[in-house]
Amino acid sequence: MIVLLIAILILFALLGAPLFSVIIAAAMAGFYFGDINLSVMAIELFRIADTPILLALPLFTFAGYILAESNTSKRLVRLTQTFFGWMPGGLAIVAFIVCAIFTAFTGASGVTIVAMGALLYPALKQAGYKDKFSLGLVTTSGSLGLLLPPSLPLILYGVIAQQMSSGEEISIEKLFIAGILPAILMILLLSSWSIWANRKNKIPLIPFSLQKAMSAVREAIWEIPLPFFVFTGIYSGFFAVSEAAAVTAMYVLIVEVFIYKEIKLSQLVSIIRESMVMVGGILLILGVSLGFTNYLIDAEVPMKLFELCQTFVSSKLVFLILLNIFLLILGAMLDIFSAIIIMVPLMLPVALEYGVDPIHLGIIFLANMQIGYFTPPVGMNLFIAGYRFNKPIVEIYKATIPFMLVLLLAVLIITYLPWLSLVFIS
Amino acid sequence: MTNKKPVFPLNILSFLQKIEDGILVGLLLLMIFIAVLQIFLRNLFDSGILWGDPLVRILVLWIGLIGAMVASRDNHHISIDVISRYLPDKIKKLSNLIISIFTSLVCAVMAYYSLIFVMMEKNDGILAFATIPAWVCESIIPVSFGIISFRYLLLSFTILTKLFKRIPQ
Repeated sequence: MIVLLIAILILFALLGAPLFSVIIAAAMAGFYFGDINLSVMAIELFRIADTPILLALPLFTFAGYILAESNTSKRLVRLTQTFFGWMPGGLAIVAFIVCAIFTAFTGASGVTIVAMGALLYPALKQAGYKDKFSLGLVTTSGSLGLLLPPSLPLILYGVIAQQMSSGEEISIEKLFIAGILPAILMILLLSSWSIWANRKNKIPLIPFSLQKAMSAVREAIWEIPLPFFVFTGIYSGFFAVSEAAAVTAMYVLIVEVFIYKEIKLSQLVSIIRESMVMVGGILLILGVSLGFTNYLIDAEVPMKLFELCQTFVSSKLVFLILLNIFLLILGAMLDIFSAIIIMVPLMLPVALEYGVDPIHLGIIFLANMQIGYFTPPVGMNLFIAGYRFNKPIVEIYKATIPFMLVLLLAVLIITYLPWLSLVFIS
Repeated sequence: MTNKKPVFPLNILSFLQKIEDGILVGLLLLMIFIAVLQIFLRNLFDSGILWGDPLVRILVLWIGLIGAMVASRDNHHISIDVISRYLPDKIKKLSNLIISIFTSLVCAVMAYYSLIFVMMEKNDGILAFATIPAWVCESIIPVSFGIISFRYLLLSFTILTKLFKRIPQ
């Protein structure tokens, strides 16, 4: 009976039923058979209002949507180009850096490919990069930056890990610090690969011009402080994460609507609606999962899972290898938010038993998810790029694979060198 | 629905959607304002509004659930959807029908049990913050699930009519 029910629910999920409804149904079935009043679901859902850090979610999302709708992407590209364009491989490096920053703020919802790709793809080709290379670069960069603050998936991982943790504190601030070196490693490896791949392809360098640099700075003067006060505010401990989110949302709102005047007040309604639809979707799944997670813990599912794992896998190393493979597949199938909400409660206790640091696990998790975005055949960014640049999907596959291999190398290094993630966390 | 001026009962629906949008915008701006105000008050004057923090946290729940209501207008919820794109049109419609009926039912059950929860809280008479009772803050849960359930019911009817239109007489 229960097996049949689970099978039906999984079938519904795969057929495209809203994930939140599948989770509610599963949790309710669990509580029903456990003779627990189903009103407990509402009590669990209300815990959203007991989790102060969640405030950061709507606020950063809103700020990101505003930035994506205004001309920030243009200014950011221009600014970075004047400062890095003179280096060998300059524009490619520029592309990686701006995409990483943009994605960190806007979330990897495909908006980086749509907004940044539209600028960078023609610019790369014009600068002399081959079509296939440029296409691969912009597709890959669409999820670069997930490990940098204030990325929403990173915050969400922290929220869930906090709910699960017994004893050791898993703070969002620590996660933000842990992501920096791994993200830099990815950018460095991708940049090196770009320079090497274009070694026979002589690309003219753009000399640095002070005048151009000054004008680019002046143009972006209101947006340049943004990363600084988010990063330094959080790292120095002056702001809590949710406070940084509030200040960012207010600042971005004022700058883009009243100073740059690129967002009309009438547009604001639809921006708020679209961004809050996304937040609502995430919070709803999170809220109903809180109930489900409690049921799983009561039923000791993570412990049973660990025992099951242990009969096959005895070493941490093998566990990590299997984890990587599993997460890559998961990342290609499931969107990142539901993957975090559903899998972290199951995976974290098991990983802890194997001696994996919870912060390190978060970085591994997201680094794999990042690749999942463009893992053939179903990675979401492949379709977005194919649609945006009007290319057959197979061409996108071929263009992306070299970049994917480079990032796989990065993920392996991140996974097997915990030092990289944990060095700044005592 | 096209861009033509909607007729009854659709004009009521679009009016309700406008109200929904308006509430969402108002609550988000209120949330940003209070959150920033609290930071200023604390850092500059070493004070703050006592009920500011709980209000902001409850606003997160409200905005999330209203956002989820808006998402169900056009079935915009997060889903996996790996099989359906390979299904033939007819079967796909049928599976969509089953799924939206399922979602509608699940949400209706959820709305019912959260209503019971809210009623219990009302009897207990606990205050959430200031003079606002907790049950008022919680009331958004049954309301939002009720509306989501209703929207998926509507969606089921829409799919149903499409399914029958396709059959040649």
